[in-house]
Amino acid sequence: MERYQRRVVGVALAVVHNQDDAIELAQETFIRAYENLSKFESRSSFSTWLYRIAANLAIDFWRREGRHVVLHGEDADNEISRLPTSQGDSFKEVSRSELSARLKQALEELTPEHRAVILLREVEGMSYDEISDVLQCPRGTVMSRLHYARTHLRNILKDVAGS
Amino acid sequence: MAECGEIGMMLGAFEDSELEPNEMQEVAFHLARCESCTGILADYSTLGRDLRSITAEPSLAGFSSAVIARVDRLPQPVLTRIARYLRRQADSVGSGFAWGGAAAAIAVLTIILMTPYAEQFANRGPHSTTSIAGHEAATAVNQVAEATASEPTMADNDSHADISRLESENHSVAVWSEPRRDTTVIWLPDQP
Repeated sequence: MERYQRRVVGVALAVVHNQDDAIELAQETFIRAYENLSKFESRSSFSTWLYRIAANLAIDFWRREGRHVVLHGEDADNEISRLPTSQGDSFKEVSRSELSARLKQALEELTPEHRAVILLREVEGMSYDEISDVLQCPRGTVMSRLHYARTHLRNILKDVAGS
Repeated sequence: MAECGEIGMMLGAFEDSELEPNEMQEVAFHLARCESCTGILADYSTLGRDLRSITAEPSLAGFSSAVIARVDRLPQPVLTRIARYLRRQADSVGSGFAWGGAAAAIAVLTIILMTPYAEQFANRGPHSTTSIAGHEAATAVNQVAEATASEPTMADNDSHADISRLESENHSVAVWSEPRRDTTVIWLPDQP
């Protein structure tokens, strides 16, 4: 358990973005895994199976809690078409504390799917294929969600810099 | 040269090294000539660092024990409960066999070790013993044997030592019985 617990919490945290909820969901993940161990097939690695349970639980939790409107069925083109322009100046000059505060807020504004993808990539360091396995979506969707999330966060931070 | 819009879609994947080699080459070629895209790429990099820095490491103290406690509280399926009951029974039967085996081994060992003494005790009967430290055991045995053979009455007058039997299994110790006095005499050699 010690081997996987940190990353299981990380996966849940990437979706729900709340530590207490993430830890609770991670515990639930291990219990579900214990109950369904006989159903585990070696088609994927045990860790991927575990992270997938965590991601599903976290996404279900998020939807159940009704904290946001989930976008269903959006494809890469739709996501990209809604993006603000990514051209512009760098936000390097904005103060770090202001950036951090705004970044946390910006993460809250993302859908759990987009937040999960960018946090699994940037914080957990997962590859696109791993993210695709854990979130059970095509690799192309991972790429487009990442692109959307990055552009969205960058533009919000750029607005902070501009103001 | 590829358009910025087209390259912009690939910048994140370029930063993550998740593009095909030819795409990596194409983006790198574009970046060498486009300051705007280079700036976006730098922002992505900074964004990644910021995301890592704002994500606090959750405290996992007591996490495992909490999970184990929750697992213990889970209602077990009937089959699992039956399997556990059978396993417990098998364990207790196994441990019973182990204890029984250990007790039997100790009993056998005790019998093996105690048999010579038990035989000796049975031959002697329930009477007192006297030990005498003195001459060499072998000499004593000889002397007693001679005395018994040559002067049977003397022993009778003297000390009622009707020595009918000599026992000496050990060359350094002499043992004989005096049935009339209901006494066993043990003659030990002088101590150096």
